[in-house]
Amino acid sequence: MAETKTHISPSQRTSTVLQLEAVWRVVVLNDPVNLMSYVVLVFKKVFGFDEATARRHMMEVHEGGRSVVWVGPREKAEAYLFTLQQWHLTVILESDEAH
Amino acid sequence: MKRIEVKLSLLVVAPLLDVIKGLADDINGEPATARPPQDLDGEFQEAWSRDLLGGQQSDLAVLLALFGEDFFLDGIVSFDQTNAEAIARACSAVRLLLRDRYLKPLADEALEAGEVELTNLDPAVQKAFMCYLFLATIQELIIQHLDESIIGSSPPEAGDSAPDLGI
Repeated sequence: MAETKTHISPSQRTSTVLQLEAVWRVVVLNDPVNLMSYVVLVFKKVFGFDEATARRHMMEVHEGGRSVVWVGPREKAEAYLFTLQQWHLTVILESDEAH
Repeated sequence: MKRIEVKLSLLVVAPLLDVIKGLADDINGEPATARPPQDLDGEFQEAWSRDLLGGQQSDLAVLLALFGEDFFLDGIVSFDQTNAEAIARACSAVRLLLRDRYLKPLADEALEAGEVELTNLDPAVQKAFMCYLFLATIQELIIQHLDESIIGSSPPEAGDSAPDLGI
């Protein structure tokens, strides 16, 4: 059986480590389709927010176009991104380095 | 278990179901909102979209099951803890697709506020918009009556069914 060797250059390794260590933001963007009450439900369900916190984030999305709903390590941010996309919200990840 | 039953007018709803069922193939072929992180490599992005699509297909099957043979006998649909979450998500997916396919001519503000003059619309757009409102009504019913059932159905945790991205 042929053996495959993967060579990882020092620059690739550094980039991966930095990506994992950086702080990532999960940002929900406004869309004209999803109902306000639906977005509140999703925030309560996914993040365990109480009604007031969920509504505050929803209003930020509605009025300001975006809301940072979670901040933390990359791996968990990706998991939240996926879960929110399962609920069909428009979501992006941003790293601290982007600011 | 809390359960709600709603009696719908077959005359009104049946034509709308044609629109939903007509879109089913499209919905089953592509996730409504799949935006994997762009810095993931191609294989992971494919896995991401594939897993989202699988969930969407399963949600849509639950929505369509509401409108089986029994529905055409009595016009009644039932929601409870076992189907509410999937139906709410499926309604969102179909609404996104309706907007993409039929409702693009409508301004975002009008769509968001639901303030659309039906008589000015082309018949196909009119039907799609009625369908869009119908699905929103289902979502509202679920949220109004079964919010706590959905919230309490599992502890909040990111990525309950997230793909294994191996990162």
